[in-house]
Amino acid sequence: MSVLTRELKLSDLHQGDNLPSVVKHITQQEINLYAEASGDFNPIHIDETFAAQTPLGGTIAHGMLILAYVSEMMTAAFGKSWLEGGKLSVRFKAPARPKDIITITGKIDSIEHKEGIPYVYCGLESHNQGGETIIIGKATVKLRS
Amino acid sequence: MQNKNNDSLPIKFEQLVVGYEFPPSSYELKVSVIAKYLEAVGKPNKQNSPAVEFVPPMAIAAYTMTAVVQSLSLPPGSIHASQELEFFKLVPVETTINCRGRVAQKLNRGKLHLLAIELDVQNQYQEKVLSGQATIIVPS
Repeated sequence: MSVLTRELKLSDLHQGDNLPSVVKHITQQEINLYAEASGDFNPIHIDETFAAQTPLGGTIAHGMLILAYVSEMMTAAFGKSWLEGGKLSVRFKAPARPKDIITITGKIDSIEHKEGIPYVYCGLESHNQGGETIIIGKATVKLRS
Repeated sequence: MQNKNNDSLPIKFEQLVVGYEFPPSSYELKVSVIAKYLEAVGKPNKQNSPAVEFVPPMAIAAYTMTAVVQSLSLPPGSIHASQELEFFKLVPVETTINCRGRVAQKLNRGKLHLLAIELDVQNQYQEKVLSGQATIIVPS
């Protein structure tokens, strides 16, 4: 199975191809930076004292931060087709925490044509360093003509 | 990030009903705003991404989520359960986006509540650039 690079032609894409994985080290500093950039200051992300008293037991990364990493992988694989024709559906299965190493992976499940337009269907997953699933989901990319 | 939202008081979670529309918000996606976002998400290699010229769609989704949540008083500890998103159009840096949110579903699950919010984003030309649905787990 080949690893995809960006803006490939349809003929370069095959069912079973792996997308270029993304590996990220989560830190509290990055979570704080994301809170500043997004404006999401939910204390579960940034207040360690508060978060320690919740069932989660500590701060967690924003779900949208993890999705930013997913989008980084999809952009690397599909370029502008992802940015203007991407579709995503994910479930957050477990939180990503500071000091976690998160790996985002994806694979082409199928390629289908609808009214002459190719659509690439992908399965997505993210795991932490212990193999725990962080997110699971699917993405579709409408390829640019 | 500059939110041109109105300054109305946040609505309480208990007051929400299906169909409620959150106050619309606008964001001007300036170079400095996007640079801050890219820094926060680990700034992808330019060689691998056209997303520097265009606003990363997850940035738009994040600003939209923030706009909705800022107009809503959620109990601390509320977390994201699932997310659906669809991107329709490239969004160049310096675009102004208009974000709308609507309560699609509100369910009780014992000590937890599930809140589903539909998201819709247009550019300054009233062209749809993004839509989706966020589901949030809200503790009692």
